Amino acid sequence: MEREDGVKIDRRRFLQALAAIGVATACGPAAAPGSASASPAPSAAAKAVSLEWWRRNYTPGSQNAETVTSDGAVKGFRARNPSYTISIQGGPFGPETDQKFDIAILQQKAGPDVFHTTGGDVLKYAAAGQLSEPPLTAAERSDFNPSALTATTYKGKVVAYPLWIVPWFEYINLDLFKERGVTPPKDGNWTYEEFLDAAKKLTFKRADGKQIYGFAHANDEFAFMLIDGGRLYDKDVRKWTFNSAEAVSGLERWVALAKEKVMPPDFLTLNPNDSQARFISGEIAILQRPSAMINVLNADAKWKYGTNWDIANFPKGKTEQTAWGGVGFIAVREQTDADKKAAAHVFAKYLTGPDIGPDLKAMTPPIEYWLAPAARTSAAGIYGEYHAAKAKVAKMGSFTYVLPNVSTWSEIDQKYLRPARDAALEGKKTAKQALDEVAPTAQRLLDEANK
Amino acid sequence: MLSLQSARIVGGEFIGLQNFVTLAEDPVFRQALGNTVLYSLVVVAAQLTLALVVASLIQPLGPRSRTFYRALFYLPLVNSAILIAMVWRWIFNANPYGLANTVLGAFRLEPLLWIGSSDQALAAVILSAVLTIPGGGVVLYSAAMSSLPRELYEAAEVEGAGALTKWWYITVPLLKPTTLYLLVIYTILAFQVFERVYVMTNGGGPNNATITIVQLIYSTAFQFGRYGLASAMAVVLFIMAVAVAVVQFRSLRSDVEY
Repeated sequence: MEREDGVKIDRRRFLQALAAIGVATACGPAAAPGSASASPAPSAAAKAVSLEWWRRNYTPGSQNAETVTSDGAVKGFRARNPSYTISIQGGPFGPETDQKFDIAILQQKAGPDVFHTTGGDVLKYAAAGQLSEPPLTAAERSDFNPSALTATTYKGKVVAYPLWIVPWFEYINLDLFKERGVTPPKDGNWTYEEFLDAAKKLTFKRADGKQIYGFAHANDEFAFMLIDGGRLYDKDVRKWTFNSAEAVSGLERWVALAKEKVMPPDFLTLNPNDSQARFISGEIAILQRPSAMINVLNADAKWKYGTNWDIANFPKGKTEQTAWGGVGFIAVREQTDADKKAAAHVFAKYLTGPDIGPDLKAMTPPIEYWLAPAARTSAAGIYGEYHAAKAKVAKMGSFTYVLPNVSTWSEIDQKYLRPARDAALEGKKTAKQALDEVAPTAQRLLDEANK
Repeated sequence: MLSLQSARIVGGEFIGLQNFVTLAEDPVFRQALGNTVLYSLVVVAAQLTLALVVASLIQPLGPRSRTFYRALFYLPLVNSAILIAMVWRWIFNANPYGLANTVLGAFRLEPLLWIGSSDQALAAVILSAVLTIPGGGVVLYSAAMSSLPRELYEAAEVEGAGALTKWWYITVPLLKPTTLYLLVIYTILAFQVFERVYVMTNGGGPNNATITIVQLIYSTAFQFGRYGLASAMAVVLFIMAVAVAVVQFRSLRSDVEY
């Protein structure tokens, strides 16, 4: 089989592609493409360019954060660049949309001009040569958070624009602290020992039989394994180091929480939605969740910031203050159309830059663009302006540990590390045994990723 | 063909039987295999027995009552499997307010961790399947019982056989073709267990205690991007299903005519 452009496709490759498309189509609901804005006549000064932006969870007409902020972003961008037209394609969060991205970008070498992406995907697309390198000036480079820039670096080159850093931290129920006479951490700072002591005091049964737990997490992070200085990889991301003495010590601190029974008994299978619901229903005093929960609490009239709830840093271990977090990126797909590619970079810079926040805030009604602290210093200020709690979160970026990009990370994490961690938390293995057992397999998968 | 390749979303090369060697050496796959076999053995046996017993209890009723109960037992099948799994997740919640723990509390028994413990999670998942009355089996057995010849029962009654004797020596043997059909179908369905695990234990936790082959195929293909390896798992599952079906056909093949 030969395409018009002379590229040969053998039958096996064609059938593989067809099967993969079939699987993705069968597994995922069809994402309705939607135009985010009307397309007035472009100005005479700039060449008219039409771009496609792929944004997970974008649903035309919906009021979800991804849709509202994306529509606002396009409106703000077009006010500055009227000759560019942007259409947005959505798709639910989850593997089916990930497949849609992979098939379009990796197999068809088509699809989005600009897209949102996360850690492992950046590496995957960069390795396939499908990302266009951002034309960053030296000043722009120094404007980005270094760890965020490292997370988007592939073979020494920055391959996407860091958008934001999403830190995890502790939400505290001030009513429960007051009820038990526990002093909230001053300025949000506490040591692990102070944290554990508070969690113990906050675990109690009321006279009506209602059980309150001092602490919960949604079983989706490794926060405690970092606080004594443990890190997953060495500096060059070549060696698995998550069985170091520091990582073992961190896991032991986590195990201590299970031993003290300050967490609900289903903590190993607690999912994010359930954990949030239980915090809101007053069953949990301290909950470890990322910044997006601030908006959830703000939307609830019963929860007043500073009166009923506050936020605090991760408890501090043996090393400097640490937090755990993820990074979101905006990427530009590599393509031969130079005009489109250049326009896509202009748009990507706008999406990650300092102008978009004020532009959207000035709209009627104002739109809160930054759902997490920006990964650029020049864009960081406005996130803190949205809310007093966010002003605190904005300062966490400096000590947030961002996971380096490793394409086999999800396999290391889900198949091996989480089960090992479960075994330690259940008391079936010591922290050292659990982490030592994972190390050889994790190293093999890391080597595979580095090939 | 994919099972013989190191296929990822892009690229991949022929690697012979390497994927199968990898599976043989993978402790997580072995655990998934063991869990799937144990789940299938218990659930298939329990569902067949339950379907047969419930259908037998319905059979003596009048036509209207029989239809009512058939519909009643079949009704849960029209519900979303995910929805049912979510209900079971709540029933076997490790907190004291989980329904199973509430029942234990009523008998002054200590609450269990159920799906919150790697020792009890698989048992809870199996129990959730066992306690779901197999509506399809009830309807098929009930229909098959309606077509059994009355003369055999009348002859047995003349000989002085009781209800239980007639059931054991006439009903059960004559239902062998239906039993064989249900056995094969239920075994295949049990091998494919996925949504129950995906919802109840977040996809195989804690500590991989409830991981099953189809759950592992899903994560290997769609989360880890190893399509070749996932295909090899699917081939193993297919061979298992065929092998078990052949054994079942050979052992239950019947020349019964009536």
